Amino acid sequence: MMNLDNINTLLLESAGVGLALLDPDGFDILMSNRRFEEWFPDTVGLGKSVDQVLENIDLDKLRSKLSADKPYTFETSFQMKRRSVNLAVTCSRHTHNDAAVVIMECQNISKMKELEYMIESYSKMIEKQNRVLQKEKERTEKLLLNLMPKSVYQELKTFGVTTPQRYDEASIFMLDFVGFTDMAIAQDPAGLISELNDIFTAFDRIAEQFGCERIKTMGDAYMAVSGIPEANPEHALNIARFAVLTLRYIKRRNSVHSQKWVCRIGINSGPVIGSIVGVQKYVYDIFGPGVNLAARMETLSEPEEITLCEDMHRLIKNEFHFSERGEIEVKGFGKKQIFTLDAARSAVQMSNDDMIDNLPI
Amino acid sequence: MATMFERYGGFATVSKVVMAFYDKALDSDVIGVYFENVEMPALIDHQTKFISQVMGGPASFSDDVLERVHAPLKINGAAFDEMLSVLQETLEDFDMAEPDINTILGELRARRSRVVHA
Repeated sequence: MMNLDNINTLLLESAGVGLALLDPDGFDILMSNRRFEEWFPDTVGLGKSVDQVLENIDLDKLRSKLSADKPYTFETSFQMKRRSVNLAVTCSRHTHNDAAVVIMECQNISKMKELEYMIESYSKMIEKQNRVLQKEKERTEKLLLNLMPKSVYQELKTFGVTTPQRYDEASIFMLDFVGFTDMAIAQDPAGLISELNDIFTAFDRIAEQFGCERIKTMGDAYMAVSGIPEANPEHALNIARFAVLTLRYIKRRNSVHSQKWVCRIGINSGPVIGSIVGVQKYVYDIFGPGVNLAARMETLSEPEEITLCEDMHRLIKNEFHFSERGEIEVKGFGKKQIFTLDAARSAVQMSNDDMIDNLPI
Repeated sequence: MATMFERYGGFATVSKVVMAFYDKALDSDVIGVYFENVEMPALIDHQTKFISQVMGGPASFSDDVLERVHAPLKINGAAFDEMLSVLQETLEDFDMAEPDINTILGELRARRSRVVHA
């Protein structure tokens, strides 16, 4: 036995770590602490080489590491009664009184392995939950974006409130159906609503093509706008083209359906104010003289016609054909020159008609 | 109101309880044998989630899954009772309140028929 007087016995017997001293040539186990003996009984002083006791140890590697004066580390496991114990082992070479000795330290890392496993498993669980939450968030965002323009949504998200915005350059489209309440299909409300839904869905798709956006529907009325919240120099043209195509769509639809829908359309260009209305129930709506005048135009409109006044006519007169209806007193606005947009004679590119052809009717 | 899971400190606590539970269970001559040659990290992980679940935490195992994983083990009633008493002892070691311990044990007892197959 080697003289180990000045090796700290307390350290040797320290609770958690299994320690053994190895012969530097044959790696026989010369001595060990209590913990090591608990794990590997009957190994000391029996001329047993360490590779007979520990699995996974590579003696060649151990030898080459130690001769380079570097520690050799590896992980191993063994069965202790019913438990599988994982060890992290470090072997290092030391010199004591001119004699070389190899110290082998074995840390029980079973608990650490269990914790590592659990951490990984919980991270995965949380990542999965995060993905679900993210999806839910995107779904909510998509719903809200249907209710209000993106810039307004962002303002709401950032500040929690929104301020009404005035837009000086905007155009408004308003449509309703003549005699809606008297329509024969009113006997079958579900069928009626289903048809209305088809029509408005088609309108939404046309609107998308022309830089217009639906603001709302109310019963049989449909309201769209162009030029808000992003300014668009073509807002008046957009709304006029949209009006022409909705009218054509309705006519085409009527040609194949027994139920005839007769609409009238009012369009106008003028200032509007866009704002969220409500706290719990958000509605993005537009207000102002531009909107009111569009509503008056719709009221003035004859069935299957698009009616507008001088304000908007000025902006689009070179692009479409019109017939003049003369000066009419418009409630709240005084006398206005009123026009009817001649949809049949106005050439909105044929490619756009193709688009209507592709819509379900 | 906070769930039992939250009141006792969530996964951090439950995982300690479950690790301590298996330490005892492995030493038990009645149920220790069931855990021989078992991959303990995975078992501890599953059990932590299960105990979290009965304490009102996240994660969920359906009783059908519980039945499926236990059926091949042919666990008998005595082993199930021993498991309960080892768990009770562990929960007491962690100073959990008696009504809470009873709630957890009650949840487990309610699933007895899903676990015992011998």
